[in-house]
Amino acid sequence: MKQKLLVGFLVFAGVIASSLHARETLATPSQRYAKADTEESVSFRRHVIPLFSRAGCSGRECHGAFAGQGGFSLSLFGYDFAKDHKEIVADEEDGERVDLDNPAQSLVLRKPTMEERHKGKERIKKGSWEYNMVLKWIKEGAKIDVEETGAFGRLEVFPKEIVFAKKGEMVQLKVICHWADGTVEDVTELTRFRTNDESVAEVSDTGVVSSLSAGDTHVVAFYDNGVHPIPVMRPVSEQFGKNYPKVATNTKIDELVINKLRKVGIVPSETCTDLEFLRRVTLDMTGTLPTPEEIKAFAADPSANKRSAKIEELLERDTYSAWWATKLNDYTGNNAAQINERQYRNEQSVQWYEWIRSRIEKNVPYDELVAGIVLATSRKPGQNYVQYATEMSSYLKKSKPRDFTARETMPHYWARRNIRKPEEKALSFAHAFLGVQIQCAQCHKHPFDQWTQQDFQQFQAFFNNITFGQNNAEGDKVTYRSMQQQLYKEAGYDRKDPKTRKKLQQTIAQRVEKGRPIPWQELFIRAPKPVSKYAKKRKKNTGSSRVLTPKILGGDEVHLTEYPDPRAPLMEWMRAKENPYFAKAFVNRVWATYFGRGIVEPADDMNLANPPSNGELLDYLADGFVKSGYDMKWLHRTIAGSDTYQRSWKPNDTNKLDEKNFSKMALRRLPAEVVTDAINQAVAGEKRAEVLATRTEDRMIGPMLTGVNRGREGYALELFGKPVRLTNCDCERMSDPTLLQTLYTRNDTDMLAKIDSNNSKAPSWIGELRKKYAPPKDAAKLEQSLKSLGYRAKQYQTKLNRTKSTLARTKDQKAKQRYKKLVQATEKAIRSTNNQIERAEQQLKDLRNAAKLDPDKLIEETFLRTVSRMPTEQELTMAREDIASAKTQVDGVRDLLWAMLNTKEFIINH
Amino acid sequence: MANHMFCDGLARRDFLKVGAAGMAFSLADHMALSHAGLVSDNASGKSAIFIRLAGGPSHMDTFDLKPNAPDSHRGEFKEIKTNVPGVRISEHLPKLAKCADKYAIIRGVSHTLAAHNLGTTYLATGNRPLPSIQYPTYGSVVSKIKEAPRDIPPYVSIPRDINNTTGFLGLEFGPFETGASPRANARMDVRGLTLRGLTIEDVDRRQNMLKRYDTAFDSVGSADQTVAGMDKFSQRAYDMMRSSRTRDAFDLTKESKNITGMFDKGSFSQSCLLATRLVEAGTKFVTVQLGGWDTHNDNWNRLKTRNLPQLDDGLSGLFNALDAKGLLESTTVFVTGEFGRTPKINQRTGRDHYPRAMFCLLAGGGIQGGQVIGESDAKGEGPKDRKISPDDVAATFYQSLGIDHRQEFRTPTGRPVMITRYGNVLRELV
Repeated sequence: MKQKLLVGFLVFAGVIASSLHARETLATPSQRYAKADTEESVSFRRHVIPLFSRAGCSGRECHGAFAGQGGFSLSLFGYDFAKDHKEIVADEEDGERVDLDNPAQSLVLRKPTMEERHKGKERIKKGSWEYNMVLKWIKEGAKIDVEETGAFGRLEVFPKEIVFAKKGEMVQLKVICHWADGTVEDVTELTRFRTNDESVAEVSDTGVVSSLSAGDTHVVAFYDNGVHPIPVMRPVSEQFGKNYPKVATNTKIDELVINKLRKVGIVPSETCTDLEFLRRVTLDMTGTLPTPEEIKAFAADPSANKRSAKIEELLERDTYSAWWATKLNDYTGNNAAQINERQYRNEQSVQWYEWIRSRIEKNVPYDELVAGIVLATSRKPGQNYVQYATEMSSYLKKSKPRDFTARETMPHYWARRNIRKPEEKALSFAHAFLGVQIQCAQCHKHPFDQWTQQDFQQFQAFFNNITFGQNNAEGDKVTYRSMQQQLYKEAGYDRKDPKTRKKLQQTIAQRVEKGRPIPWQELFIRAPKPVSKYAKKRKKNTGSSRVLTPKILGGDEVHLTEYPDPRAPLMEWMRAKENPYFAKAFVNRVWATYFGRGIVEPADDMNLANPPSNGELLDYLADGFVKSGYDMKWLHRTIAGSDTYQRSWKPNDTNKLDEKNFSKMALRRLPAEVVTDAINQAVAGEKRAEVLATRTEDRMIGPMLTGVNRGREGYALELFGKPVRLTNCDCERMSDPTLLQTLYTRNDTDMLAKIDSNNSKAPSWIGELRKKYAPPKDAAKLEQSLKSLGYRAKQYQTKLNRTKSTLARTKDQKAKQRYKKLVQATEKAIRSTNNQIERAEQQLKDLRNAAKLDPDKLIEETFLRTVSRMPTEQELTMAREDIASAKTQVDGVRDLLWAMLNTKEFIINH
Repeated sequence: MANHMFCDGLARRDFLKVGAAGMAFSLADHMALSHAGLVSDNASGKSAIFIRLAGGPSHMDTFDLKPNAPDSHRGEFKEIKTNVPGVRISEHLPKLAKCADKYAIIRGVSHTLAAHNLGTTYLATGNRPLPSIQYPTYGSVVSKIKEAPRDIPPYVSIPRDINNTTGFLGLEFGPFETGASPRANARMDVRGLTLRGLTIEDVDRRQNMLKRYDTAFDSVGSADQTVAGMDKFSQRAYDMMRSSRTRDAFDLTKESKNITGMFDKGSFSQSCLLATRLVEAGTKFVTVQLGGWDTHNDNWNRLKTRNLPQLDDGLSGLFNALDAKGLLESTTVFVTGEFGRTPKINQRTGRDHYPRAMFCLLAGGGIQGGQVIGESDAKGEGPKDRKISPDDVAATFYQSLGIDHRQEFRTPTGRPVMITRYGNVLRELV
């Protein structure tokens, strides 16, 4: 039945024939081991272990679990050959798993065939080729052959791409393994397969791919160290290939995106409106809402290139550098709580932020920026400890501090407490700069990539000697320790007496303020320690005495003796043109910010089994980025300037289900800082709104939010998923909607207070409106009080004149004094009354202006402040009624503002 | 949606499907687990109250006294008998002594993290903190697994959780915070829920207004996950804000004299009273915090004048009120600090941080009360024979709620993580 449904078999059979030039391909295992008395020899590494993996024996639910299963444990996904061999063969207790004298009695055969009770059910049929193969291996002595088999070469999978036409179609995959020693073998039957989207296509254990629904995904083949994805797709409409409509491709991005869309029959959405574009790009590029004036000006601008002009304008704003500094601080893990220097960790965290921000502002090439972090040192060349410690203090003086951002390097990244161990440094480094998650390989072969535990350990070896702490460098007369002693003495600090702690802190603060040194720890490369006797002994016992040569991920081994700083070869490798990760990781993250989804998704999980949805697109952007000299603004400009970025979110029949091909704009909830800032901006009084739109001191994307305390807006930021920057995952930034978020914008006390506050530091727009448009009934009151104030002023004047003339007449010195005082007091009363009159007159003037409240203007402003567009006719009519029916007109505007802030249109970038 | 690869081949989509199915933990599920021997038949907890004694209460002066220890260790408090023969506790906990049959004391609980935040995280998650992963607190796990009525907040913190984290479970399972402690005979305000200066009519009017303006994405509707999610939460938020059940639960004036009479007017006692009302209304998890246990100096004065009377009244009131309301069987109560305190008295008549020996209390939810599990050595310096870890206590706590503590969740990076991997259920308790 299978044969009948195979599609395209003949086509790819031809491909195979032509590609196998040099060596003859070995026959398939089912042919070679069809008979029990086969002459063919069996390889532990090439046959037995892959079989156990494909049959599920070494899966996580079975013997691949950490504790094994039923006393038998295999390495997860089978890549620790020595351990697995030992476990299978060297069963010291009873010698039953492999019985060399009586091979058919071996438990490794009796269990999976259910001759012996097996919780894991039948895995291998007795007499099958699988059975014969394992049997033959035991007959040959059950030997391990990792050395003999040598290095894995590559996998070749046919067909290279599958395009289905209708549901239920099937294609058999064929997997050929090329070993480094020249052996070529058809390993289809020993390969594990997996689909990346089981709603689009499924794949059987034997490698038959079937089409389920329209769309595109990958099927992945796993064998030995090979991981190989095959694109599988089925067009979602009739409009594909030659039938595809003509779509303009104004940029290279558009051309590459449309190439893919043409294949899968997806027609992209229309171009978005000017105002949708303005709001979208301002939020994505600068984390900020456009101001009402800006929106009106943009709408009125008749020029054809106003969109690209706006992009250039945005790239020059402080909010651009602040928002992208926030993102780079996420990736590099700037968390004040992890900074070692307790008394100044908030300040150091801000230094970290500003150091990055200033470079983004100056558009320093990305590779240079990263090098300043990767290759950071605490001391400048030739600095002694005192000079270094003095320099560190000088950045923190309140009066005229030195500019930390002028430092060539920024060492705080390496100084965090949560990456003290070399393996923690390796994980953080791979995540921050390479966009790779390698933690799986810490304990076992990475299930979806080539990384083995050995790869991880060799990568980790780069970081062994990167140290943050006290450095007693040669030639230092003053050291951390001696300076500390001296400081304690100066402060009268006694470790045993907690009461003296405060004095110590004060002394430190005073010294820093004067620019004097305090004992700062430092980042340095420790000379490799000679291994102690104890350590040797311990290592011998655990069998891990190998000294590993550092090896770059997927690259070469490096002899560190050639480099004084082990990080230098890493940076060299990252900057090499052919580096597979460095540029791609950044390009992909930036893309993900603009589209809500990376070309590789998740954006920080680049692995072989997780291929890009559009490889050519990722390559083009990464290459272009490198060629531009790692010009970050080039990247932003290129992405935001494409038609692909400027598509409408409104779907059509062909792309309503598309999530990964960028055929329409994704609807994305605003990030935590941006949502909080956007609310603050939308509710702010006129002047404050201007400040928030242009300056970053009071912004959540600004420097203050890097501190330990969650601060004034901490609750909201936590609620909306601001990343804690602790766990090497971009997923820390969460964008899913939640109930608590909704309750926050609907009804939280903070939120309601923001909308309608009289706070003089953060005056609200509604508060200002209330002052301006106070209800008219107060006018009568004011007029009344003005009248009585005028009367009082007159009375005081009369009294003053009378007293003055009496004073002039009086001769008695004592009485003179008394009258003088009375004159003064009366004059004061007159001044005060006049002030009151002035104030009341101003109020009355304001009140009279209030009569001019123009609902249409305020409705328009409410819409511009929140959803960055004008109201429609229908909305305008509705809002007029809502305002008219409210208790006061300003109450009506407030309710409208509340409603607009609670619309999805406000909180979703679209 | 993200298609994250997991170490064992599941894609994130699978996980979300599994997760969604796991939302409603039904009786049938419990039967299935129970049948499989994964949870005990005795487990009857449907909700939980977690009482955090922040600062680290001295075990030697509360529930684990050592009258025969030398002067350098013993302290000035005497033991008193309780209503359970053989069980003795501090003389400053007389009300708790009268209801010792309702709770179990676990002594000699031991770990090694002597810093407040690390110890707190450990005891609030049942997992020793790791730098590479953020574990969710009990409240997040329980409110993910057990579903509350749609107009009732599933997880409430009184007044707030300092170290709260939903960890890798995502934002959805965070607590509602009251922000302040309740006062006797008063209504309690809760962020986002309480209508301040607004009437129900105002809420209705606003909701009506919002509906009319929130139409931009109507054409997309439920096809988009973000839009669909927000619409769902919008309706639920509205229901909750209007809910008289929720409003009443937070309104202590609505409580009967019978029950209010079991509590004094102190903020901790009133918090405990509020906790009983929330559980009664359908909340699945309540955290109550009582601080001030970090007694580096003046330990005994501070304990006997402030902390112990508060704890004694609030906690005994909680047990008695739950019992009177018929909720003790279905509500598990877990009381713990982050560590014990040094058995050896320091120079400032205080005790310092000491994780090697601490105590925990468990009650309700099928926990067998009236017993002491575990034992510390003669000077209270460590477990005597059997070592009980915070993980074990956590496992037992989950067990009483019918939750298999070895159940796995997945982190967003795809790691399968057990709720408490290293815990073993204390079988005497449940």
